[in-house]
Amino acid sequence: MPLYELGVVLTPDLDDQARESFMDELKKLLDQHGATMVKEDVWGKRTLAYPIRHKREGFYFFWQFEAPGTVVAPLEYKLRLSDEVLRYLTLNLDRELRRARKMTAVRAAQQAAKGGGELAEAEPGPHAGGDAVTMAGEEA
Amino acid sequence: MSKKKFLSKRKKVCKFTAEGIDYIDYKDVDLLKQFTPVSGKILPRRVSGTSPIYQRKLTRAIKRARILALLPFVGD
Repeated sequence: MPLYELGVVLTPDLDDQARESFMDELKKLLDQHGATMVKEDVWGKRTLAYPIRHKREGFYFFWQFEAPGTVVAPLEYKLRLSDEVLRYLTLNLDRELRRARKMTAVRAAQQAAKGGGELAEAEPGPHAGGDAVTMAGEEA
Repeated sequence: MSKKKFLSKRKKVCKFTAEGIDYIDYKDVDLLKQFTPVSGKILPRRVSGTSPIYQRKLTRAIKRARILALLPFVGD
């Protein structure tokens, strides 16, 4: 199941209760499709960079969840039809992060190789062995 | 304004390569703002010195941020 990131901007006029119930509805929808929440990041009210529907503020929240690809269509359908949503954006984070993860791994491997090389020169023996272990761990 | 920017960027380095930022998050408004002048435009590579790979990623991130009204399409 891919990791998705959803960013939503809600109308600022919603009271706490209405907002909670709307978010609960969304969560229920996600649950129905077998999604597991990974991270919830609620920013709260924030000034919009440009007015949307004559509103200058928006309520921001970002969710990361793991779910099968079949959630996206019904989720976006609901968001599109809801009047309380000003903007939304769904991203497949796995796809976004693929290169970034690879780069991080490469960098870590390089670092390990470099560190290992220096250590091996200075003190051959136990250290070199230890570094090989960490390298293998990072690659896994 | 462009003159000032030119003077301050005497040596151009790609911020993302230098700082090892692999993923440019569209939510990181403060970072993205460094690459958008008040006009709201995306700063060209020739000015910012960003490497081609990261310029493409940066562009995408800025455009995403615009969708969610984190950054303006047109500035002042």
